[in-house]
Amino acid sequence: MNPIEKFFDSHRKHFEKGGRFERWYPFFESIESVFFAPARVTRNTPSVRDHLDVKRYMLLVIVALLPHYAFGVFNTGYQAHLASGLPIDLFSVVWTGLKYVVPIVVVTYAVGFMWETIFAVVRRHEISEGLFVTCALFPLTLPPTIPLWQVALGISFGIVIGKEIFGGTGRNFLNPALTGRAFLYFAYPVQISGDAVWTALLHGRQVPVDGFTGATPLSVSATVEKLGDVHNALLDSGYGFWKLLLGYYPGSIGGTTALLGIAGAAFLIILGIANYRIIFGCILGTLATGLLLNLVATESSMPFLSLNPFYHLIIGGSMFAYAYMATDPVSAAHMNGARWVFGFGCGVLTVLIRVFNPAFPEGVGLAVLFMNLFAPLLDHIETKFRLRKRIPNV
Amino acid sequence: MNTIRIPNGYNLNLGGRPSADVESLPEPARLALVPEHIPFVKPRLSVAVDQTVQLGAPLMEDKRNASVRFLSPGAGRIAEINFGPRRVIQEIVIERDAKEEPVMFERITESELETIPRDRLIDAILTGGLWPLIRELPYRDYARMDTAPPLIIVSLGSLEPFQPLPQVYLAGKETLFEYGLKALRRLAPQVHVCAPATGNSLPSRLSTLVTLRYAGRYPAHDPGVILYRIKKSAELNRAWYIAGQDVLLLAHLLKTGTYPTERNIVLAGPAAATRKHFLTRLGVPLAAITGGRTKDANLRHIQGGVLTGFTGSDGTYLGFFESAVNLLPEGNRKGELLGLFRPGFRRPSYSRAFASKLSKAELVYDCNIHGGDRACIACGYCAQVCPVDIFPQFAYKAVLAGEVEESLEHGLLDCVECGLCSYVCPSKIELAQTLRKARADYYIEQSKV
Repeated sequence: MNPIEKFFDSHRKHFEKGGRFERWYPFFESIESVFFAPARVTRNTPSVRDHLDVKRYMLLVIVALLPHYAFGVFNTGYQAHLASGLPIDLFSVVWTGLKYVVPIVVVTYAVGFMWETIFAVVRRHEISEGLFVTCALFPLTLPPTIPLWQVALGISFGIVIGKEIFGGTGRNFLNPALTGRAFLYFAYPVQISGDAVWTALLHGRQVPVDGFTGATPLSVSATVEKLGDVHNALLDSGYGFWKLLLGYYPGSIGGTTALLGIAGAAFLIILGIANYRIIFGCILGTLATGLLLNLVATESSMPFLSLNPFYHLIIGGSMFAYAYMATDPVSAAHMNGARWVFGFGCGVLTVLIRVFNPAFPEGVGLAVLFMNLFAPLLDHIETKFRLRKRIPNV
Repeated sequence: MNTIRIPNGYNLNLGGRPSADVESLPEPARLALVPEHIPFVKPRLSVAVDQTVQLGAPLMEDKRNASVRFLSPGAGRIAEINFGPRRVIQEIVIERDAKEEPVMFERITESELETIPRDRLIDAILTGGLWPLIRELPYRDYARMDTAPPLIIVSLGSLEPFQPLPQVYLAGKETLFEYGLKALRRLAPQVHVCAPATGNSLPSRLSTLVTLRYAGRYPAHDPGVILYRIKKSAELNRAWYIAGQDVLLLAHLLKTGTYPTERNIVLAGPAAATRKHFLTRLGVPLAAITGGRTKDANLRHIQGGVLTGFTGSDGTYLGFFESAVNLLPEGNRKGELLGLFRPGFRRPSYSRAFASKLSKAELVYDCNIHGGDRACIACGYCAQVCPVDIFPQFAYKAVLAGEVEESLEHGLLDCVECGLCSYVCPSKIELAQTLRKARADYYIEQSKV
């Protein structure tokens, strides 16, 4: 017998009925089932069941996020070295990145898993894998300089208030990762916004070296003075099309890269995990609103209005949020038509919040949360409409 | 002739397809009537253990309507009457004697059939014990003989893995089948004979009898699905249906005046060593079919298709409506090490989350649940496969919330119990079971008033 199997078999008795840690069975089960799928067989018809389970479903989202982590580690280190005037060699850049990213991820998972285990033990159900996706998404939305206690607080709020008090994964109506992120934003507005937080400074430096601009492209765009200057202003700060697409500029840990967001979205759509209607709805909403603002922009209006609509897709975390946050199947709309509207709404609100609300440079998180609130209503309207077409059978 | 395209549905990529060969099995020593899986019937026994019965003697009747009787599939001695939990009658076992004396019923010639009053025909079927073969949608109880149905659907063949092929069970029985259809036409103004649009291997004589072709994936063959796609108004909702092979039983009864005994059974599935049709009797013990034809001891006997059938064992007998035995590996062992992270070339799935999607090769399905119970994550797969456009994820929530009206609005009564929603669910929610139970409860509630 496999030694891993032997290990689980020899420890199972402590977690089963009558064992010392009987109450902690969900904890044991969640770890064992990662290694070996359980031997449970069907008792009802149909006798056969699909091999896909929630574990696999959620795992694939995490797989899609791994490149973001790789990029996030690199970019965090890269920006830190740039700002601190240190040499840019791959090894030391990655090492610096790891020093910032790993603690955040470890704290997120430890705290998130703790909350989920507590709720699973009290409620006597198995640990739901939605947690692992939430904990994988959350660090990618944070600035690398965030204190770890804020990380713990944010994920606690996201998991407990965003999800568990409603009954856990599948019963939440808000995206838990974004709920936690929004909590941090509103609870610590001073510490968590501004241009300085997005770049880590090394060796006790208080200010970046000369020539390093810590301003994110969104804050650059929002502070342009004259209409028509927005693209020049971005270029002046070093933000060309490719840099924006690839995402190697100061920002949240892994959310700045639109290219990986597009790749992840394609990956999830091909595997049938993310719903393409939501993602395309988001993109359409963003482009349509961006275009509309271009059309209404006059001399006296804000210069941000004239930003190329495609730039709204590649700037900041919009593509990241469209691919992984808006597509959270539970908190998004559930009906196919409603998913288009939901996505479109996310896109529209993202651009509107970015452009018209100077307090929030990035609007995509709030846009998704806001549309989460509307998803049940959209579903309700569509089901009513669809059911009216049925030939009644009572 | 009409061809209807049926969207949605899903074909399992299950290996172990049966061949069209037929083998005649020797007469089994014991036969049984299995009342347990006849829905809604409340049996009242007409016999006791050790009593001698003729072939076609009444064994039990339905307490709700005593004219509905279930007859003995053989002649001999009642050897056992087995009860299950809460005294449900599981099986009435008959030990056959050598010379099988049949009870003689009324014989109706083909010319008489044209003029026979409807009531007399119904009486003949009731007395002959075959009325329960004619079932009424949407609840699938036996048809209410005091109503006139708008339509009777006869479905030839099944897309479910695996059921007997119509060209096998109808071979050489064309005349009998035509006779049976004639009898059905006396019961309803319209009889639809439905057959698949592709893979048409019916003899030409039978092809001319087909009035409706269906194209689509499982369960496009189901009378409930066909009805859902052809109905233009609510008047057709209470249509009747009968399985193709059961038309032969009915015809045999009316034509010869004796209770039919012959049944074509298919043995299939990845755990079956021999996969073909068997000519045997109604109420045959499963062991007579599967004995020596299995690959492995750790398997599940499914009576009926793998998605709608129920679990039997080699100690049980074939159910009243069943004509298939599918053998699948039980799957009661842990998955492979870190199977979660593997591409899954051999793991069947409706989703695109496994590498098995890349190939069309037939796969082995087992009876493992393949996951833990979770709350609904709204993936929407159930609504994608539902053949009658129910949103099972919403309908089942309405059922659980006790919102009967809302679940009916969602099409609860259009549900054909195909089992696909439960099959595809990654959260392993018993959707089909929940909806089936809600329908049955609603029906029982309705028939009280």
